[in-house]
Amino acid sequence: MDYLVTIAISIAIYTILAASYNLVLGYGGLSTVAHPIFFAVGAYTAGLLAVNYPESPAIANVVAGMAAAMVASVLLAASSLRVSGDYLLIASLGFQLGLLQLIKNLEFTGGPGGLSAIPSTIVGPMRGPAFLAICGLAAAACVFIIRAIVNGPYGRAISAMRDEELAFTALGRNAMSMKIVIFAIGCGMAGGAGGLYAYYFQYVSPDQFDVLASAAILTMVVLGGMGTVYGPVVGAILLLAIPQAITFLQLPPAIMAPMQGIIFTLLVLAFLFLRPAGIVGTKGRPI
Amino acid sequence: MTEILRVEGLQKRFGGIVVSDNVHLTIGAGEILGLIGPNGAGKTSLFNLISGVLRPDAGSIYLRGQKIDNAPLYKRARMGIARTWQNMLLFRTMTVMDNLLVGPRDYPGESIVRLTFGRAHVRSAEAAMKGRAMSILARMGLEQTAGSAVVDLPFGQQKLIGLARTLMNDGDLLLLDEPMAGVEGAAYETMQRVVRQEAEAGRAVCVVEHNVSFIRDLCSRGIFMAQGKILQDGTVEELISSAVLTELYFGV
Repeated sequence: MDYLVTIAISIAIYTILAASYNLVLGYGGLSTVAHPIFFAVGAYTAGLLAVNYPESPAIANVVAGMAAAMVASVLLAASSLRVSGDYLLIASLGFQLGLLQLIKNLEFTGGPGGLSAIPSTIVGPMRGPAFLAICGLAAAACVFIIRAIVNGPYGRAISAMRDEELAFTALGRNAMSMKIVIFAIGCGMAGGAGGLYAYYFQYVSPDQFDVLASAAILTMVVLGGMGTVYGPVVGAILLLAIPQAITFLQLPPAIMAPMQGIIFTLLVLAFLFLRPAGIVGTKGRPI
Repeated sequence: MTEILRVEGLQKRFGGIVVSDNVHLTIGAGEILGLIGPNGAGKTSLFNLISGVLRPDAGSIYLRGQKIDNAPLYKRARMGIARTWQNMLLFRTMTVMDNLLVGPRDYPGESIVRLTFGRAHVRSAEAAMKGRAMSILARMGLEQTAGSAVVDLPFGQQKLIGLARTLMNDGDLLLLDEPMAGVEGAAYETMQRVVRQEAEAGRAVCVVEHNVSFIRDLCSRGIFMAQGKILQDGTVEELISSAVLTELYFGV
Protein backbone atom coordinates (compact mmCIF):
# COMPACT_ATOMS: atom_id res chain seq x y z
CA MET A 1 0.00 0.00 0.00
CA ASP A 2 2.74 2.43 1.03
CA TYR A 3 4.52 1.51 -2.13
CA LEU A 4 1.57 2.45 -4.30
CA VAL A 5 1.06 5.70 -2.39
CA THR A 6 4.69 6.60 -2.99
CA ILE A 7 4.29 5.96 -6.70
CA ALA A 8 1.14 8.06 -6.78
CA ILE A 9 2.91 10.91 -4.98
CA SER A 10 5.80 10.68 -7.45
CA ILE A 11 3.30 10.86 -10.28
CA ALA A 12 1.71 13.98 -8.78
CA ILE A 13 5.09 15.67 -8.30
CA TYR A 14 6.27 14.76 -11.80
CA THR A 15 2.96 15.94 -13.21
CA ILE A 16 3.76 19.39 -11.81
CA LEU A 17 7.26 19.19 -13.30
CA ALA A 18 6.13 18.01 -16.73
CA ALA A 19 3.19 20.39 -16.92
CA SER A 20 5.28 23.40 -15.94
CA TYR A 21 8.08 22.37 -18.31
CA ASN A 22 5.49 22.14 -21.05
CA LEU A 23 4.33 25.68 -20.26
CA VAL A 24 7.87 26.95 -20.72
CA LEU A 25 8.94 24.78 -23.65
CA GLY A 26 5.76 23.76 -25.43
CA TYR A 27 3.76 26.96 -25.08
CA GLY A 28 6.41 29.58 -24.46
CA GLY A 29 8.81 28.12 -27.01
CA LEU A 30 11.70 28.71 -24.59
CA SER A 31 14.24 25.97 -25.18
CA THR A 32 15.63 25.27 -21.75
CA VAL A 33 16.86 21.96 -20.37
CA ALA A 34 17.40 23.23 -16.85
CA HIS A 35 13.98 22.47 -15.44
CA PRO A 36 15.24 19.94 -12.84
CA ILE A 37 17.57 22.53 -11.35
CA PHE A 38 14.59 24.68 -10.36
CA PHE A 39 13.08 21.54 -8.87
CA ALA A 40 16.36 21.23 -6.97
CA VAL A 41 16.38 24.86 -5.87
CA GLY A 42 12.89 24.39 -4.43
CA ALA A 43 13.76 21.07 -2.79
CA TYR A 44 16.98 22.34 -1.22
CA THR A 45 15.48 25.64 -0.10
CA ALA A 46 12.53 23.94 1.61
CA GLY A 47 14.74 21.11 2.93
CA LEU A 48 17.39 23.42 4.36
CA LEU A 49 14.80 25.64 6.01
CA ALA A 50 13.14 22.59 7.52
CA VAL A 51 16.43 21.15 8.78
CA ASN A 52 17.79 24.41 10.18
CA TYR A 53 14.54 25.85 11.48
CA PRO A 54 12.51 22.81 12.58
CA GLU A 55 9.81 25.10 13.98
CA SER A 56 9.17 26.88 10.68
CA PRO A 57 5.83 26.08 9.04
CA ALA A 58 6.17 23.61 6.19
CA ILE A 59 3.90 25.54 3.89
CA ALA A 60 6.02 28.69 4.26
CA ASN A 61 9.13 26.66 3.42
CA VAL A 62 7.55 25.19 0.29
CA VAL A 63 6.49 28.69 -0.78
CA ALA A 64 10.04 29.87 -0.08
CA GLY A 65 11.29 27.08 -2.34
CA MET A 66 8.94 28.26 -5.04
CA ALA A 67 10.09 31.86 -4.64
CA ALA A 68 13.77 30.87 -4.72
CA ALA A 69 13.21 28.93 -7.95
CA MET A 70 11.44 31.95 -9.46
CA VAL A 71 14.28 34.28 -8.53
CA ALA A 72 16.83 31.84 -9.98
CA SER A 73 14.81 31.57 -13.19
CA VAL A 74 14.59 35.33 -13.61
CA LEU A 75 18.37 35.57 -13.16
CA LEU A 76 18.89 33.00 -15.90
CA ALA A 77 16.22 34.40 -18.23
CA ALA A 78 17.16 38.05 -17.90
CA SER A 79 20.76 37.30 -18.77
CA SER A 80 20.34 34.77 -21.57
CA LEU A 81 17.05 35.72 -23.24
CA ARG A 82 18.36 39.18 -23.98
CA VAL A 83 20.74 37.95 -26.65
CA SER A 84 18.62 35.43 -28.53
CA GLY A 85 16.33 32.52 -27.77
CA ASP A 86 18.85 29.92 -28.89
CA TYR A 87 21.35 30.94 -26.27
CA LEU A 88 18.96 29.84 -23.60
CA LEU A 89 19.58 26.19 -24.43
CA ILE A 90 23.30 26.48 -23.79
CA ALA A 91 22.95 28.92 -20.92
CA SER A 92 20.37 26.71 -19.20
CA LEU A 93 22.58 23.64 -19.49
CA GLY A 94 25.52 25.56 -18.04
CA PHE A 95 23.31 26.95 -15.31
CA GLN A 96 22.07 23.49 -14.37
CA LEU A 97 25.51 21.87 -14.30
CA GLY A 98 27.09 24.84 -12.53
CA LEU A 99 24.50 24.99 -9.81
CA LEU A 100 24.67 21.22 -9.32
CA GLN A 101 28.44 21.46 -8.84
CA LEU A 102 27.86 24.19 -6.32
CA ILE A 103 25.39 22.03 -4.40
CA LYS A 104 27.78 19.09 -4.49
CA ASN A 105 30.68 21.14 -3.16
CA LEU A 106 29.03 23.21 -0.49
CA GLU A 107 29.01 21.94 3.05
CA PHE A 108 25.65 23.15 4.25
CA THR A 109 23.79 21.42 1.39
CA GLY A 110 25.18 18.06 2.42
CA GLY A 111 27.55 17.88 -0.55
CA PRO A 112 27.44 14.89 -2.89
CA GLY A 113 25.86 12.77 -0.15
CA GLY A 114 22.75 14.88 -0.24
CA LEU A 115 20.59 16.53 2.35
CA SER A 116 19.05 14.04 4.74
CA ALA A 117 17.01 14.01 7.94
CA ILE A 118 14.50 16.53 6.69
CA PRO A 119 11.90 16.51 9.46
CA SER A 120 8.62 14.85 8.68
CA THR A 121 5.84 17.33 9.30
CA ILE A 122 3.08 14.77 9.13
CA VAL A 123 3.47 11.58 11.18
CA GLY A 124 1.37 8.52 11.79
CA PRO A 125 -0.35 6.01 9.53
CA MET A 126 -2.11 8.68 7.53
CA ARG A 127 1.14 10.33 6.45
CA GLY A 128 1.13 8.79 2.97
CA PRO A 129 -2.51 9.49 2.12
CA ALA A 130 -2.22 13.03 3.52
CA PHE A 131 0.81 13.76 1.35
CA LEU A 132 -0.93 12.19 -1.60
CA ALA A 133 -3.90 14.50 -1.11
CA ILE A 134 -1.65 17.56 -0.83
CA CYS A 135 0.49 16.65 -3.85
CA GLY A 136 -2.55 15.63 -5.89
CA LEU A 137 -4.25 18.95 -5.15
CA ALA A 138 -1.07 20.86 -5.96
CA ALA A 139 -0.75 19.01 -9.28
CA ALA A 140 -4.40 19.68 -10.13
CA ALA A 141 -3.96 23.34 -9.22
CA CYS A 142 -0.89 23.64 -11.47
CA VAL A 143 -2.64 22.04 -14.42
CA PHE A 144 -5.67 24.27 -13.83
CA ILE A 145 -3.54 27.42 -13.64
CA ILE A 146 -1.65 26.46 -16.80
CA ARG A 147 -4.93 25.80 -18.58
CA ALA A 148 -6.19 29.23 -17.54
CA ILE A 149 -2.96 30.84 -18.77
CA VAL A 150 -2.82 29.18 -22.18
CA ASN A 151 -6.49 29.55 -22.99
CA GLY A 152 -7.95 32.99 -23.47
CA PRO A 153 -6.18 36.28 -24.15
CA TYR A 154 -2.90 35.47 -22.48
CA GLY A 155 -2.55 32.20 -24.38
CA ARG A 156 -3.37 34.02 -27.58
CA ALA A 157 -0.50 36.40 -26.92
CA ILE A 158 1.84 33.49 -26.13
CA SER A 159 0.94 31.78 -29.44
CA ALA A 160 1.44 35.03 -31.32
CA MET A 161 4.83 35.54 -29.73
CA ARG A 162 5.90 32.01 -30.63
CA ASP A 163 4.62 32.34 -34.21
CA GLU A 164 6.16 35.72 -35.07
CA GLU A 165 8.02 37.47 -32.33
CA LEU A 166 8.94 40.48 -34.47
CA ALA A 167 5.36 41.19 -35.55
CA PHE A 168 4.19 40.58 -31.99
CA THR A 169 6.65 43.15 -30.66
CA ALA A 170 5.76 45.63 -33.39
CA LEU A 171 2.15 45.43 -32.23
CA GLY A 172 3.21 46.90 -28.91
CA ARG A 173 4.00 43.81 -26.87
CA ASN A 174 7.07 43.40 -24.73
CA ALA A 175 8.04 39.86 -25.72
CA MET A 176 11.02 39.85 -23.37
CA SER A 177 9.00 40.50 -20.24
CA MET A 178 6.37 38.01 -21.34
CA LYS A 179 9.02 35.30 -21.70
CA ILE A 180 10.43 36.11 -18.29
CA VAL A 181 6.95 35.86 -16.75
CA ILE A 182 6.22 32.50 -18.39
CA PHE A 183 9.63 31.20 -17.40
CA ALA A 184 9.21 32.37 -13.80
CA ILE A 185 5.76 30.79 -13.47
CA GLY A 186 6.96 27.46 -14.89
CA CYS A 187 10.12 27.38 -12.81
CA GLY A 188 8.27 28.52 -9.69
CA MET A 189 5.94 25.54 -10.06
CA ALA A 190 8.96 23.26 -10.39
CA GLY A 191 10.35 24.81 -7.20
CA GLY A 192 7.09 24.13 -5.38
CA ALA A 193 7.21 20.52 -6.56
CA GLY A 194 10.73 20.35 -5.15
CA GLY A 195 9.50 21.55 -1.75
CA LEU A 196 6.83 18.85 -1.67
CA TYR A 197 9.39 16.27 -2.73
CA ALA A 198 11.78 17.23 0.06
CA TYR A 199 9.08 17.02 2.71
CA TYR A 200 7.73 13.67 1.57
CA PHE A 201 10.95 11.80 0.85
CA GLN A 202 12.90 13.63 3.60
CA TYR A 203 16.04 13.27 1.55
CA VAL A 204 17.39 15.04 -1.55
CA SER A 205 20.61 14.30 -3.38
CA PRO A 206 22.20 16.30 -6.19
CA ASP A 207 22.30 13.39 -8.65
CA GLN A 208 18.56 13.27 -9.06
CA PHE A 209 18.55 16.72 -10.68
CA ASP A 210 21.13 16.10 -13.41
CA VAL A 211 20.68 15.99 -17.18
CA LEU A 212 19.06 12.53 -16.99
CA ALA A 213 16.25 14.14 -15.05
CA SER A 214 15.93 16.75 -17.81
CA ALA A 215 15.64 13.93 -20.32
CA ALA A 216 12.99 12.17 -18.24
CA ILE A 217 10.80 15.28 -17.97
CA LEU A 218 11.29 16.05 -21.65
CA THR A 219 10.23 12.50 -22.51
CA MET A 220 7.06 12.92 -20.45
CA VAL A 221 6.21 16.13 -22.29
CA VAL A 222 6.98 14.75 -25.76
CA LEU A 223 5.15 11.47 -25.16
CA GLY A 224 2.07 13.07 -23.70
CA GLY A 225 1.94 15.85 -26.23
CA MET A 226 3.93 19.08 -26.21
CA GLY A 227 1.80 22.20 -26.20
CA THR A 228 -1.29 20.42 -24.89
CA VAL A 229 -2.75 20.94 -21.42
CA TYR A 230 -3.21 17.31 -20.43
CA GLY A 231 -0.40 15.70 -22.42
CA PRO A 232 2.24 16.11 -19.69
CA VAL A 233 -0.13 14.53 -17.16
CA VAL A 234 -0.49 11.46 -19.36
CA GLY A 235 3.26 11.45 -19.97
CA ALA A 236 4.09 11.61 -16.26
CA ILE A 237 1.70 8.78 -15.42
CA LEU A 238 3.01 6.58 -18.22
CA LEU A 239 6.68 7.13 -17.56
CA LEU A 240 6.38 6.47 -13.87
CA ALA A 241 3.91 3.59 -14.13
CA ILE A 242 5.68 1.62 -16.86
CA PRO A 243 8.88 0.98 -14.87
CA GLN A 244 6.77 -0.13 -11.91
CA ALA A 245 4.79 -2.47 -14.13
CA ILE A 246 8.03 -4.01 -15.31
CA THR A 247 9.13 -4.71 -11.74
CA PHE A 248 6.12 -6.98 -11.38
CA LEU A 249 7.68 -9.20 -14.02
CA GLN A 250 10.29 -10.13 -11.38
CA LEU A 251 13.19 -9.95 -13.80
CA PRO A 252 16.70 -10.10 -12.36
CA PRO A 253 18.16 -6.64 -11.64
CA ALA A 254 20.88 -7.12 -14.26
CA ILE A 255 18.21 -7.12 -16.94
CA MET A 256 15.84 -4.67 -15.28
CA ALA A 257 17.99 -1.54 -15.43
CA PRO A 258 18.93 -1.69 -19.11
CA MET A 259 15.39 -2.81 -19.86
CA GLN A 260 13.95 0.49 -18.63
CA GLY A 261 16.37 2.51 -20.70
CA ILE A 262 15.58 0.46 -23.77
CA ILE A 263 11.84 0.82 -23.29
CA PHE A 264 12.05 4.61 -22.81
CA THR A 265 14.26 5.01 -25.84
CA LEU A 266 11.98 2.84 -27.98
CA LEU A 267 8.97 4.83 -26.80
CA VAL A 268 10.55 8.16 -27.73
CA LEU A 269 11.68 6.83 -31.12
CA ALA A 270 8.28 5.31 -31.83
CA PHE A 271 6.51 8.54 -30.95
CA LEU A 272 8.85 10.71 -32.98
CA PHE A 273 8.10 8.62 -36.06
CA LEU A 274 4.48 7.63 -35.54
CA ARG A 275 2.92 10.35 -33.47
CA PRO A 276 5.13 13.44 -33.13
CA ALA A 277 2.29 15.43 -31.56
CA GLY A 278 2.17 13.03 -28.62
CA ILE A 279 -0.70 11.01 -27.18
CA VAL A 280 -2.97 13.96 -26.43
CA GLY A 281 -1.88 16.15 -29.35
CA THR A 282 -4.16 16.09 -32.37
CA LYS A 283 -2.01 17.61 -35.06
CA GLY A 284 1.59 18.27 -35.91
CA ARG A 285 2.70 21.26 -33.93
CA PRO A 286 4.77 23.77 -35.84
CA ILE A 287 7.40 25.06 -33.46
CA MET B 1 -1.77 69.95 -42.16
CA THR B 2 -0.73 68.60 -38.76
CA GLU B 3 2.67 67.03 -38.80
CA ILE B 4 2.63 63.42 -37.58
CA LEU B 5 6.11 62.17 -38.39
CA ARG B 6 9.34 64.04 -38.86
CA VAL B 7 12.65 62.37 -39.63
CA GLU B 8 15.85 64.41 -39.39
CA GLY B 9 19.23 63.46 -40.77
CA LEU B 10 18.74 59.73 -40.39
CA GLN B 11 21.93 57.80 -40.94
CA LYS B 12 22.42 54.04 -40.92
CA ARG B 13 25.05 51.80 -42.40
CA PHE B 14 25.75 48.09 -42.27
CA GLY B 15 29.48 47.80 -42.82
CA GLY B 16 30.09 49.33 -46.23
CA ILE B 17 26.43 49.49 -47.22
CA VAL B 18 24.62 52.73 -46.50
CA VAL B 19 20.91 52.06 -46.11
CA SER B 20 19.99 55.50 -44.88
CA ASP B 21 22.03 58.51 -45.89
CA ASN B 22 20.99 61.78 -44.28
CA VAL B 23 17.27 61.18 -44.76
CA HIS B 24 14.90 64.07 -44.00
CA LEU B 25 11.19 63.52 -44.24
CA THR B 26 7.87 64.72 -42.87
CA ILE B 27 4.42 63.21 -43.20
CA GLY B 28 1.26 65.03 -42.21
CA ALA B 29 -2.11 63.81 -41.01
CA GLY B 30 -4.30 62.65 -43.86
CA GLU B 31 -1.38 62.40 -46.26
CA ILE B 32 -0.51 59.28 -48.25
CA LEU B 33 3.17 59.33 -49.09
CA GLY B 34 4.49 56.91 -51.68
CA LEU B 35 8.02 55.63 -51.24
CA ILE B 36 9.50 54.19 -54.40
CA GLY B 37 12.90 53.08 -55.53
CA PRO B 38 14.83 50.05 -56.74
CA ASN B 39 15.46 47.02 -54.55
CA GLY B 40 18.06 47.78 -51.93
CA ALA B 41 17.29 51.50 -51.97
CA GLY B 42 16.68 51.51 -48.22
CA LYS B 43 12.89 51.76 -48.20
CA THR B 44 12.22 48.90 -45.82
CA SER B 45 15.24 49.92 -43.76
CA LEU B 46 13.67 53.36 -43.40
CA PHE B 47 10.51 51.69 -42.08
CA ASN B 48 12.64 49.63 -39.72
CA LEU B 49 14.34 52.78 -38.45
CA ILE B 50 11.06 54.64 -37.97
CA SER B 51 9.26 51.76 -36.26
CA GLY B 52 12.25 50.94 -34.06
CA VAL B 53 13.35 47.57 -35.44
CA LEU B 54 16.69 49.22 -36.22
CA ARG B 55 18.55 51.94 -34.34
CA PRO B 56 20.03 54.72 -36.49
CA ASP B 57 23.70 55.65 -36.30
CA ALA B 58 22.66 59.30 -36.27
CA GLY B 59 19.60 61.45 -36.70
CA SER B 60 16.29 61.81 -34.92
CA ILE B 61 12.68 60.76 -35.29
CA TYR B 62 9.74 62.78 -34.00
CA LEU B 63 6.18 61.55 -33.62
CA ARG B 64 3.65 64.38 -33.22
CA GLY B 65 6.62 66.62 -32.40
CA GLN B 66 7.87 64.35 -29.65
CA LYS B 67 11.33 62.83 -29.96
CA ILE B 68 11.11 59.02 -29.84
CA ASP B 69 14.74 58.05 -30.46
CA ASN B 70 15.07 56.11 -27.24
CA ALA B 71 11.78 54.21 -27.39
CA PRO B 72 12.10 50.53 -28.29
CA LEU B 73 9.99 48.88 -30.98
CA TYR B 74 7.11 47.84 -28.73
CA LYS B 75 6.82 51.26 -27.12
CA ARG B 76 6.70 53.00 -30.49
CA ALA B 77 3.82 50.74 -31.44
CA ARG B 78 2.04 51.79 -28.27
CA MET B 79 2.64 55.42 -29.25
CA GLY B 80 0.76 54.78 -32.45
CA ILE B 81 3.28 53.70 -35.07
CA ALA B 82 1.57 50.81 -36.85
CA ARG B 83 3.25 48.91 -39.64
CA THR B 84 2.80 45.99 -41.97
CA TRP B 85 5.49 43.69 -43.32
CA GLN B 86 6.58 42.78 -46.79
CA ASN B 87 6.12 39.09 -45.98
CA MET B 88 3.12 39.77 -43.71
CA LEU B 89 4.41 37.92 -40.61
CA LEU B 90 0.93 36.72 -39.74
CA PHE B 91 0.50 34.46 -36.71
CA ARG B 92 0.31 31.24 -38.67
CA THR B 93 -1.16 28.91 -36.09
CA MET B 94 -4.02 31.26 -35.26
CA THR B 95 -7.39 32.23 -36.69
CA VAL B 96 -8.06 35.47 -38.51
CA MET B 97 -9.91 36.86 -35.48
CA ASP B 98 -7.11 35.93 -33.07
CA ASN B 99 -4.58 37.58 -35.39
CA LEU B 100 -6.58 40.80 -35.21
CA LEU B 101 -7.05 40.58 -31.45
CA VAL B 102 -3.28 40.82 -30.94
CA GLY B 103 -3.40 44.18 -32.78
CA PRO B 104 -4.76 46.65 -30.20
CA ARG B 105 -2.47 48.78 -28.08
CA ASP B 106 -4.53 48.24 -24.94
CA TYR B 107 -4.93 44.58 -24.00
CA PRO B 108 -5.97 44.06 -20.38
CA GLY B 109 -6.51 40.34 -21.04
CA GLU B 110 -2.79 39.81 -21.52
CA SER B 111 -1.91 40.76 -17.97
CA ILE B 112 -1.91 37.90 -15.49
CA VAL B 113 -2.86 40.29 -12.70
CA ARG B 114 -5.87 41.60 -14.62
CA LEU B 115 -6.82 38.08 -15.66
CA THR B 116 -6.88 37.02 -12.04
CA PHE B 117 -8.46 40.04 -10.38
CA GLY B 118 -10.23 41.96 -13.12
CA ARG B 119 -12.11 39.40 -15.13
CA ALA B 120 -15.14 41.62 -15.74
CA HIS B 121 -12.96 44.36 -17.20
CA VAL B 122 -11.10 41.81 -19.32
CA ARG B 123 -14.36 40.40 -20.66
CA SER B 124 -15.73 43.78 -21.65
CA ALA B 125 -12.43 44.81 -23.23
CA GLU B 126 -12.33 41.54 -25.20
CA ALA B 127 -15.89 42.07 -26.40
CA ALA B 128 -15.09 45.62 -27.52
CA MET B 129 -11.95 44.40 -29.33
CA LYS B 130 -13.91 41.68 -31.11
CA GLY B 131 -16.51 44.21 -32.20
CA ARG B 132 -13.82 46.48 -33.62
CA ALA B 133 -12.13 43.55 -35.37
CA MET B 134 -15.41 42.52 -36.98
CA SER B 135 -16.07 46.03 -38.22
CA ILE B 136 -12.60 46.22 -39.78
CA LEU B 137 -13.12 42.82 -41.41
CA ALA B 138 -16.54 43.93 -42.63
CA ARG B 139 -14.99 46.96 -44.31
CA MET B 140 -12.83 44.53 -46.26
CA GLY B 141 -15.69 42.15 -46.96
CA LEU B 142 -13.89 39.47 -44.94
CA GLU B 143 -16.18 39.08 -41.92
CA GLN B 144 -16.99 35.49 -42.91
CA THR B 145 -13.28 34.57 -42.60
CA ALA B 146 -13.07 35.54 -38.90
CA GLY B 147 -13.05 31.95 -37.65
CA SER B 148 -10.81 30.53 -40.38
CA ALA B 149 -7.19 29.62 -39.88
CA VAL B 150 -5.28 32.53 -41.36
CA VAL B 151 -3.06 30.22 -43.42
CA ASP B 152 -6.10 28.84 -45.25
CA LEU B 153 -6.93 32.20 -46.85
CA PRO B 154 -5.80 33.07 -50.36
CA PHE B 155 -2.72 35.27 -50.58
CA GLY B 156 -4.53 38.51 -51.37
CA GLN B 157 -6.80 38.09 -48.36
CA GLN B 158 -3.82 37.32 -46.13
CA LYS B 159 -2.35 40.65 -47.21
CA LEU B 160 -5.58 42.34 -46.19
CA ILE B 161 -5.54 40.56 -42.83
CA GLY B 162 -2.01 41.89 -42.32
CA LEU B 163 -3.37 45.39 -42.85
CA ALA B 164 -6.45 44.71 -40.69
CA ARG B 165 -4.27 43.55 -37.79
CA THR B 166 -2.25 46.76 -38.09
CA LEU B 167 -5.42 48.88 -38.16
CA MET B 168 -6.40 47.42 -34.78
CA ASN B 169 -3.54 49.54 -33.41
CA ASP B 170 -5.55 52.67 -34.26
CA GLY B 171 -2.29 54.59 -34.56
CA ASP B 172 -1.63 57.99 -36.14
CA LEU B 173 1.03 56.66 -38.46
CA LEU B 174 0.60 53.73 -40.83
CA LEU B 175 3.67 52.27 -42.52
CA LEU B 176 2.69 49.85 -45.28
CA ASP B 177 5.48 47.74 -46.71
CA GLU B 178 4.57 46.56 -50.22
CA PRO B 179 0.88 46.05 -49.54
CA MET B 180 0.20 45.24 -53.21
CA ALA B 181 2.98 42.74 -53.92
CA GLY B 182 1.24 39.65 -55.31
CA VAL B 183 -2.23 41.15 -54.86
CA GLU B 184 -4.72 41.49 -57.68
CA GLY B 185 -8.42 41.58 -58.41
CA ALA B 186 -10.90 42.31 -55.65
CA ALA B 187 -8.24 42.47 -52.93
CA TYR B 188 -6.48 45.21 -54.93
CA GLU B 189 -9.57 47.40 -54.99
CA THR B 190 -10.23 46.75 -51.30
CA MET B 191 -6.67 47.58 -50.29
CA GLN B 192 -6.79 50.86 -52.13
CA ARG B 193 -10.17 51.83 -50.70
CA VAL B 194 -9.23 50.98 -47.11
CA VAL B 195 -5.90 52.82 -47.26
CA ARG B 196 -7.65 55.88 -48.64
CA GLN B 197 -10.30 55.74 -45.90
CA GLU B 198 -7.60 55.52 -43.25
CA ALA B 199 -5.93 58.65 -44.59
CA GLU B 200 -9.28 60.44 -44.71
CA ALA B 201 -9.73 59.52 -41.06
CA GLY B 202 -6.65 61.64 -40.35
CA ARG B 203 -3.85 59.11 -40.25
CA ALA B 204 -0.50 59.72 -41.87
CA VAL B 205 0.21 56.89 -44.29
CA CYS B 206 3.49 55.93 -45.91
CA VAL B 207 3.49 53.22 -48.56
CA VAL B 208 6.48 51.38 -49.99
CA GLU B 209 5.37 49.99 -53.29
CA HIS B 210 6.72 48.84 -56.63
CA ASN B 211 3.31 48.98 -58.23
CA VAL B 212 3.51 52.44 -59.79
CA SER B 213 -0.15 52.61 -60.78
CA PHE B 214 -1.15 51.92 -57.18
CA ILE B 215 1.08 54.77 -56.04
CA ARG B 216 -0.28 57.06 -58.76
CA ASP B 217 -3.89 56.29 -57.87
CA LEU B 218 -3.41 56.72 -54.18
CA CYS B 219 -0.60 59.04 -53.21
CA SER B 220 -0.62 62.78 -53.03
CA ARG B 221 3.15 62.92 -52.74
CA GLY B 222 6.01 60.64 -53.61
CA ILE B 223 9.60 60.14 -52.61
CA PHE B 224 12.20 58.42 -54.69
CA MET B 225 15.03 56.66 -52.89
CA ALA B 226 18.17 54.97 -54.14
CA GLN B 227 21.22 53.80 -52.21
CA GLY B 228 19.84 55.13 -48.96
CA LYS B 229 19.33 58.66 -50.29
CA ILE B 230 16.18 60.58 -51.08
CA LEU B 231 16.75 61.68 -54.67
CA GLN B 232 13.45 63.39 -55.27
CA ASP B 233 10.45 64.52 -53.24
CA GLY B 234 7.41 65.80 -55.10
CA THR B 235 4.12 64.93 -56.70
CA VAL B 236 3.86 61.43 -58.09
CA GLU B 237 3.53 62.81 -61.62
CA GLU B 238 6.83 64.67 -61.24
CA LEU B 239 8.51 61.54 -60.00
CA ILE B 240 7.29 59.37 -62.79
CA SER B 241 8.18 61.86 -65.50
CA SER B 242 11.68 62.48 -64.15
CA ALA B 243 14.21 61.15 -66.64
CA VAL B 244 16.86 60.28 -64.03
CA LEU B 245 14.48 58.23 -61.97
CA THR B 246 13.00 56.48 -64.95
CA GLU B 247 16.45 55.36 -65.92
CA LEU B 248 17.40 54.25 -62.42
CA TYR B 249 14.16 52.55 -61.66
CA PHE B 250 12.89 51.16 -64.92
CA GLY B 251 16.21 50.84 -66.67
CA VAL B 252 14.96 52.43 -69.90
